[in-house]
Amino acid sequence: MGRGEKNDKMKPKNMDKADFNTSIFLVIFGLAIFLISIRMPTFRNLGANPYSAPGIVPAILGVIISIFGMTLFFRSVARKGYKIHYSLSGIKKIIIKRPIQRFLIALFLSLSYVFLLRKVDYFLLSSAYIFIFILAYEINIKKSIIQQNKTIIFALAEAVLIAGSIAVVFRYLFLVRLP
Amino acid sequence: MLQGLTELGQQLIGFLTLRYIFDILWSTQLGIIVGMLPGLTATMGVALMATLTYKFATDHAVLILICMYIGAIYGGSRTAILINIPGTPANAATTVDGYPLAQQGRAGEAMGIATTGSFLGSLFGMMMLAIFTPIIGNAALNFFSFEYLWLTIFGIIICGTLTAPKDPLKGWIAGFFGLFVATIGMEGMHAYRRFCFGNVDLAGGIALLPAMIGVFGFSEILMVMKQPAVKIVSNKIEKVIPNLRDITRYWQTIIRSGLIGTIIGAIPGVGEDIGAWVSYDFAKKVSKEKEKFGKGSIEGLIAAETGNNAAVAGAIIPVLSLAIPGSAPAAVLLGAMIIHGIRPGPLLMIEHPDFVIQVVAMFLLATCAMFILGLSFTRLFCKILIIPRQKLMPVIFCLCVIGAYALSSRIFDIWVMAVFGLIGYAMKEMNYPVAPAVLGIILGDLLDKNLRRSLILTGGNIIPLFTRPISFVLVLLIVFTIVSRMKWFEQIISFFKNRLKILLRGKAH
Repeated sequence: MGRGEKNDKMKPKNMDKADFNTSIFLVIFGLAIFLISIRMPTFRNLGANPYSAPGIVPAILGVIISIFGMTLFFRSVARKGYKIHYSLSGIKKIIIKRPIQRFLIALFLSLSYVFLLRKVDYFLLSSAYIFIFILAYEINIKKSIIQQNKTIIFALAEAVLIAGSIAVVFRYLFLVRLP
Repeated sequence: MLQGLTELGQQLIGFLTLRYIFDILWSTQLGIIVGMLPGLTATMGVALMATLTYKFATDHAVLILICMYIGAIYGGSRTAILINIPGTPANAATTVDGYPLAQQGRAGEAMGIATTGSFLGSLFGMMMLAIFTPIIGNAALNFFSFEYLWLTIFGIIICGTLTAPKDPLKGWIAGFFGLFVATIGMEGMHAYRRFCFGNVDLAGGIALLPAMIGVFGFSEILMVMKQPAVKIVSNKIEKVIPNLRDITRYWQTIIRSGLIGTIIGAIPGVGEDIGAWVSYDFAKKVSKEKEKFGKGSIEGLIAAETGNNAAVAGAIIPVLSLAIPGSAPAAVLLGAMIIHGIRPGPLLMIEHPDFVIQVVAMFLLATCAMFILGLSFTRLFCKILIIPRQKLMPVIFCLCVIGAYALSSRIFDIWVMAVFGLIGYAMKEMNYPVAPAVLGIILGDLLDKNLRRSLILTGGNIIPLFTRPISFVLVLLIVFTIVSRMKWFEQIISFFKNRLKILLRGKAH
């Protein structure tokens, strides 16, 4: 286990801070839903029943979300969740934790894959995604590439084989269009 | 009764062709594998399969989904027994006694008992499904807009409460967030585009399956990659065929757990994990061998596995009778049925009179396949657990992408999957349950239409919404569920309890 491996679960103190932030977001979010909803047309001019207005349900939901947000706000304040100290060194500390790094790598690679869909050939893109994903977690930057040639060759073979299988199976067996 | 059995026999014969048998076997085995692998859940498996089989005939697609569902809920027991990590959340209770049994060198025996418990639980649930779906469906024919409105809110509140027992407020927030998400897009009465901000793709609304694949697929990938790698401890697997005496000895536990699992499964959005825990707790409370629980109790293992598999059938009962899912995988099943032109709910018995019995037949076949596959090739398939996560997760993500895209061939749906994956990840990190959010997305349309219809019927007067008998009972249940979780209520209850104790003591003296 590396540095920060045990810290991947949020501590209660941090949870109160997260709840404080979330509560503010929820109150604003709920109010925004309410304000947008009450501005929606009622179609009365077309003879529609005013209670069929499209904004009624989201307006009620917005109010309820705001009330829940307020409840969460008061609870987190009571637990001193408002004592938030953000600093550059604090953020750095979080980023260098191994679990966060592993999460960020997976997130970056996966979102890049989605972004490049239809811009690059599906088979090539999927092969590259699987290959880079495996290497990102298996390669040791302290060792030379020659020392790890087996890992690279296996990752490449797996990537090509799996991407090819997925493409063929879903295209011809499940008759699904590929992106 | 006899007519029902004849119809069931006819449906079973209809499924006994080579093609169907082949599909039953591979989909159940795939379900077992999905369930076994930590990070892959039954919901993810069923959601991916739902999009990939949408070009199949209705009965064919639903059969594959049911096989996947039953297989996955059972499959998680293997990981729970072998490595003390539940393959799916439904198998969390299995770890308590399953893993100690494996540590005692009885992994094979534990797996055999878990398989038999799952089989019997599934059979019990199937019988309940056959009996209660038509009864509830017929009763629901008396429901009007008012009842549906309160049923929707009750579903969200009870699901939020049970999936977040320590902090129900977060469960309710998740549920109402889901209801809001369902209002995005073109609404049904005036075709007005809500919360679209000029975006044409959003006008179509947030599709359920891409959102679910995101919440249960992509977010799980991120969670799994964040956590440290699971160390696989090799456990020798000897004979997996269980001793018949072990099973017959605990027949009461099996029936009790089957009943509890089915009832818990039928509660909207609650799911198999809670079914297993409640069954386990009840078994522990009434057991003659309480001291063995947690140390490798056969009874505890049977209770947990019977409970979670009975909950699968329980979760399908409200899907077919009320169009309200009992669990997250059942929600996908509901979505898949709608995609295939089946309209679950009270009218199902009128529009598709054979469908319920067909589902029962599918359930029986899937249960038998799970039992046979569960007791064979055990050692071979357990080797799948050795696959490192960095090799498995990118493949799962590729499948999530295809799954999200397959339904409408829109890149927008892939982005929906990605965004909901991130939302799901954030929710899990902050202890918000995702099941109420998904239930909210499903029930949002029901709430929207029925609230507005009710207000139109009453001319804006809200009193009639509370006064119809079923509505009144549902309102009371909602209020009680919310109030019972408040501190002041708990204080009042404990005050009265203490007063009662003092009074009773006084009388005794």
